[in-house]
Amino acid sequence: MSHQSPEDLVGHWKGAEAPLLPLLHAFQERDGYIREQALEAISQGLRIPLADLFAQVSFYHHLTLEPDGWDAPRVCDGPVCRQKGSKALLNALPGARPMACSGRCDDPIPVLRRGQLTVGLEAGGLQTRSSPLPPPPPDGVRECVFAKIREPDRATLKGYRGTGGFRGLAWALEADPDALLERLDQSGLRGRGGAGFPTAAKWRAVRDAEGDPKVIVCNADEGEPGCFKDRALLDHDPWAVIEGMLCAAFATGASLGFIYLRYEYPETYGLLEAVLEEAHREGILGEDALGPGRAFHIHLRRGAGAYICGEETALLNSLEGKHPFPRNRPPYPVTHGYRDKPTAVNNVETLASVPPILHEGAEWYRGLGCGEHSGTKLISLSGDIRRPGNYEVPLGLPLATLLEDWAGGPPEGRRIQAVTMAGLSGGFLDARDIAEVTLDDPSIRARGSFLGAGGIIVYDDSRSMRDAATDAMSFFADESCGKCFPCRIGTRRLLERLEGSAGPTAGAEWVDEVKSIGEVMQQTSACGLGQAAPLVTESLIRRFSEDVGWKHEGADPS
Amino acid sequence: MTTENVFELDGRPLRFEDGETIFEAARRAGTAIPSLCYDPRLNAFGGCRMCVVQVEGIAKPVASCTTKITRDMVVKTTTPKVERLRKTLLEMVLSENPDRQVSADRGLAASEMNDLAQRLGVRRGRFAGATSGKSRPEDDNPFILRDYDLCISCYRCVRVCAEREGDYALGVKGRGFATQITAGFDRALGDSTCTYCGQCVQTCPTGALGDKQIMRFESLSAAPETTRTICPYCGVGCSVDLVTKGDRLVGVRPAMDGPANKGALCVKGQFAYDFVQHADRLKTPLVRNEAGELTPASWDEALDRAARGLTESIAKHGRKSVYGVASGRAPNEAAYAMQKLMRMLSGAHYIDNCSRA
Amino acid sequence: MSNPLEDMELPDVIFCIGTNMTECHPVAATRLKRAMANGAVMVVADPRRIRLAEIADLYLPIRVGSDAALLLAMAHVIEREGLVDEAFIAGRTEGYEAFREHLRPFSPEWAAPICQVPAADIERAALLFGRADKGAIYYTLGITEHITGVGNVQCLGNLALMTGNVGRPGTGINPMRGQNNIQGAGDSGAIPANYPGFQPVVDPKNAAKFERLYGRSFDPEVGLTKVKALELAGRQIHAMIIDGENTVVSDPDAHHCRRALEALDHLVVMDIFLTETAQLADVVLPATSWGETDGTCTNTERRVQRLRAAVPPVGEARPDWWIAAEIAKRAGLAGFDWKDASDVFNELCSVSPIYHGLDWERVAEGRYQWPVPEKGHPGTPRLHEDGFVNGRGQFKLIAYQDPAEVVDDEYPFWLTTGRRLTSYHTHTQTGRSEAIREVLPEERLEVHPEDLQRLGVKDGDAVRMTSRRGDVTLRVKATERSRPGTVFCSFAFSNVPVNLLTGSGYDPITDTAELKVCPVRIEREEAGLPA
Repeated sequence: MSHQSPEDLVGHWKGAEAPLLPLLHAFQERDGYIREQALEAISQGLRIPLADLFAQVSFYHHLTLEPDGWDAPRVCDGPVCRQKGSKALLNALPGARPMACSGRCDDPIPVLRRGQLTVGLEAGGLQTRSSPLPPPPPDGVRECVFAKIREPDRATLKGYRGTGGFRGLAWALEADPDALLERLDQSGLRGRGGAGFPTAAKWRAVRDAEGDPKVIVCNADEGEPGCFKDRALLDHDPWAVIEGMLCAAFATGASLGFIYLRYEYPETYGLLEAVLEEAHREGILGEDALGPGRAFHIHLRRGAGAYICGEETALLNSLEGKHPFPRNRPPYPVTHGYRDKPTAVNNVETLASVPPILHEGAEWYRGLGCGEHSGTKLISLSGDIRRPGNYEVPLGLPLATLLEDWAGGPPEGRRIQAVTMAGLSGGFLDARDIAEVTLDDPSIRARGSFLGAGGIIVYDDSRSMRDAATDAMSFFADESCGKCFPCRIGTRRLLERLEGSAGPTAGAEWVDEVKSIGEVMQQTSACGLGQAAPLVTESLIRRFSEDVGWKHEGADPS
Repeated sequence: MTTENVFELDGRPLRFEDGETIFEAARRAGTAIPSLCYDPRLNAFGGCRMCVVQVEGIAKPVASCTTKITRDMVVKTTTPKVERLRKTLLEMVLSENPDRQVSADRGLAASEMNDLAQRLGVRRGRFAGATSGKSRPEDDNPFILRDYDLCISCYRCVRVCAEREGDYALGVKGRGFATQITAGFDRALGDSTCTYCGQCVQTCPTGALGDKQIMRFESLSAAPETTRTICPYCGVGCSVDLVTKGDRLVGVRPAMDGPANKGALCVKGQFAYDFVQHADRLKTPLVRNEAGELTPASWDEALDRAARGLTESIAKHGRKSVYGVASGRAPNEAAYAMQKLMRMLSGAHYIDNCSRA
Repeated sequence: MSNPLEDMELPDVIFCIGTNMTECHPVAATRLKRAMANGAVMVVADPRRIRLAEIADLYLPIRVGSDAALLLAMAHVIEREGLVDEAFIAGRTEGYEAFREHLRPFSPEWAAPICQVPAADIERAALLFGRADKGAIYYTLGITEHITGVGNVQCLGNLALMTGNVGRPGTGINPMRGQNNIQGAGDSGAIPANYPGFQPVVDPKNAAKFERLYGRSFDPEVGLTKVKALELAGRQIHAMIIDGENTVVSDPDAHHCRRALEALDHLVVMDIFLTETAQLADVVLPATSWGETDGTCTNTERRVQRLRAAVPPVGEARPDWWIAAEIAKRAGLAGFDWKDASDVFNELCSVSPIYHGLDWERVAEGRYQWPVPEKGHPGTPRLHEDGFVNGRGQFKLIAYQDPAEVVDDEYPFWLTTGRRLTSYHTHTQTGRSEAIREVLPEERLEVHPEDLQRLGVKDGDAVRMTSRRGDVTLRVKATERSRPGTVFCSFAFSNVPVNLLTGSGYDPITDTAELKVCPVRIEREEAGLPA
């Protein structure tokens, strides 16, 4: 690859599906950065205007126009890694630059350099190692997606087959798409990426939409800080995700599939490349994947460092080689998705849930929840907690049970001051909330937050919650795409107010401005990023008002 | 079917076309919903969010520019809540730029944001913080001022360049609050595919892009007036509005309703108008004197001489000794008068125009 | 244009030949670019790799003057592949059988060496156009400024007829007119073959009509073209009035042109500047400029629009029509008592069948495209929708013909000329903008780097370029826009009067000069450029 001419490289990708991102990566890997000549060759070959290419390259964090920019170490500076000393590591590594939370919160601190990932708490101790397996559940707790993940060799095709793999798909192929959708409907499975749309309804909409080919996109752009569950699934149970995508293709009639993986998971990328190659070789994917003449192909694409690409329409633009702004909706991806074709965009966890549900049945799945809640949810737990990791919890489990019983509680001598919800997007819950809330959306929404993608970051009583909020807002400000005004300006203004760098620094005036901005963002932002970001300040004001120098009068507004 | 295409706008029933957005239908009905990123010629962008309205049954306000109307939709454009949101949002937008007033001469839409601030009664000075956008004074092209200190990243310039002009010269650098509108590889306009058509200038709502040619006359105190005419250059026939201050022609603006151009112009039509009042213009008739020099003359003298030369030629060499060439650059009336003159003089069809060269 | 400008956003296949539209008609080109953004395919044939060629799906860098060979071969392929519109041919045309026979020898393989492009590309172009649902042809002077200009246009007509791409939205044969009112000048009767409204002078009915209208009798035969008149200057033609044309710079063979004007007894020039041509005049009459003049003009899509004065005239300048009328009156002619431009325009409408439904008020908003035969008529955005004016569409049996002069050992380069985006015609107007001069300070001859190397000339050096008629000196610009062996410059700068060189031949029917082809030789100019 390294000796290929620009024309060869462009020629290789031209005509392929979604060629822009792989081409940009190929040039960056060849040259150590993205040269102007490379952009000119791409512009000519793919007929994308140069100004547009420049804009995209400058948008993504991991693409660089500076000579040797790819060489610079990128140190995770997410909220958990900050707790673990990322600033010191940044100072210790020459030329290092911070990067947003990179999904290794259960095994910090990840450092990315030239497409290689190492982890460690100190500059001298960086090493390559695979991501941790989920800790085993307490006795008697039944799992769905993690049920087999700890089996040896589960990540290999042989191991997958040997531990009950492909039984969900086999059931579906023997039944029919209607039966599949019916079973999913009954299971109550909802999207696990955060939005929570019923999976069967989405697939049915794609099936019924006009357009060919239909497309399945696995959203593996796990960018929410404090979330690392998709990585665990892809690293340790990749075939389950492939099987889930095959089920989706069977249900919808799709023949084209993509896995859009975040750039910060390079080993996962290598592993998936091998898995897909094997799957095509073995005929699991390919022209007859779903029976004679019923093709399904999956293409693996890497993002390039942009949280917004986890938003499904921004992800689709990114795949298509367009500026990764979220699209205006409607139309929705189910009718106008990848290249305006009917497209189901599903989270990794959702897809991995499908095979066991199809095999075991809807009743079984519903029965996994606590009480009236049905099913399970993966929680990525990290921060000031003794046993961080991914946990598959029955929906309705008391949060305190997860924190204290499953994960061992706070470090010695500390108490838990706060946790985040939905990574950072759900803002903070305080100790009182923690004692009362159960892990399901009705309970959490009643507290003005939401479960989202299932990331929970723990802050013990040694932490400043204003600092935590500042870190969180700094993330949203960095990741705001810049398309819609309330988010573009609002994230910046809220950050400045949290930092104390502009505007009022505390007190009633501070609260007035922060609340005004927050309301505009929450009510008028175009996508979830801008709508959710003010939960950080809102929950700070509501629950940690002394941290912002303000005593609210009267009852808690919640 | 179409009789059923009715929705409710601010308490009144209103017909709508299939696929029409709330913003467009309201505009058609005379309800001006505030916006900063809207240009009727461009695809709806949904960026500024100033145009949010309340739709019954939907919890959050929706952007009216991207929301298509459905039958029996109930829309309120001016609830206290959306008015509060718009005002606060506009205060946020104003806070990203220095408080600097610039002349409305800069471009067709240059005062749009200030006008909106006035209309909504919005105060400057709230939400202090960093400013966005950085001007490019070093781009010394003679046509387009890039005063990005005043930019609000509405993308109208980028979109008009791509969607209308098809030059794709403009783009952005970065993201979020650091978004910087730029050209090509973030260098001067002249280093990009820009053709200086000026469309970006004319759609900019803040004066962040300015017409440097018209700005030469900013100090003239007379109020600018406009006169609709047609561009003098190629055969496309773009409609333009000439901007004058007193007797001075100070600039050209594209006519958004021009049938041939719909708001587009090229570098020549937009910027190359100095010839009209150029010092080189012929100001008096000239006749060649006996020494063989062209010297100023009165109209009477010159016209008599012109006519006499023609009649004498006919008297001496016959009627087929005179010839006329009309102009493809002058109005129809000139060509008509010329052909009538030549035909009447000679009875022959000794008239042509410059289309053969 | 047979079709309106807005139709340019509708074709699914666009064929541009001999038109540098993004530079010469930039606003029209935006419509083609929008069509492409919506999925239209574009084929461009041009000797230069112009901007349109860069964005095209298929670009054919044909040798200058080889257009007819390309078009014949495309027709050959379309016929061979059965991509013809049988119903259209049967219903609306005649002469197809003979045309089919005529096409037989003109295969892409035959055309390839003439056009110097691969036969496969000609084939592809033909298939793309032949398979179009809505195929539209756009051309400009690159087609007409040849000794075979008429034949070239007829070849385009054949292509459109055989594929039925006429009279429907997004189709047509669409010449882009180069000057703001060149269409109107013809409409108004300033041509030797027609009275106003394209009423042929050879038709006795028209002669009788104008005798009645104008009060004198007229010759029943076509007059002289300007080219012929200049040739006859000093022999038959002894007095001339030129309105607003810088003939000695814009016309071919400038030496000849200057000699012709000098041979006149009497030359009257109406203009806004003392142009090179005006400097030769006996009487120079200052006309009002655009921006100072009320009037009308007619664009390339036959749209009649109003020009309005925004500022008072400089000095004593007067409108052209007023000047012509005053001369007429002083020559003892009647019928020139117009009060203002509206009088003149209304008279034009009254004598012209295509403007008959128009008047000064009606054209105020530019809503009408002619023909507008009577009041109340909505105008005619699209010609030939229901039929051709002259009955059926005729297939024309055109043969390829070499340019008047071809390259040889003495004159080994093909020179082709044209315009640039930032200059207009002879630059008398654009050149008076400081800003334009800043971005286009001088004319440079575009030469391929390989040719420069062969000539031992570096980018920016001065050269002397010589044809059989004259020579100019100018700097060179190294560029791969043209293929080796072909050079380009514009005629915008009076210090590079490239039309001293051109003028090798004329189309026998229209007298249009072969400005697009001129063999030249190029040598380093050791003395450099004059200061």
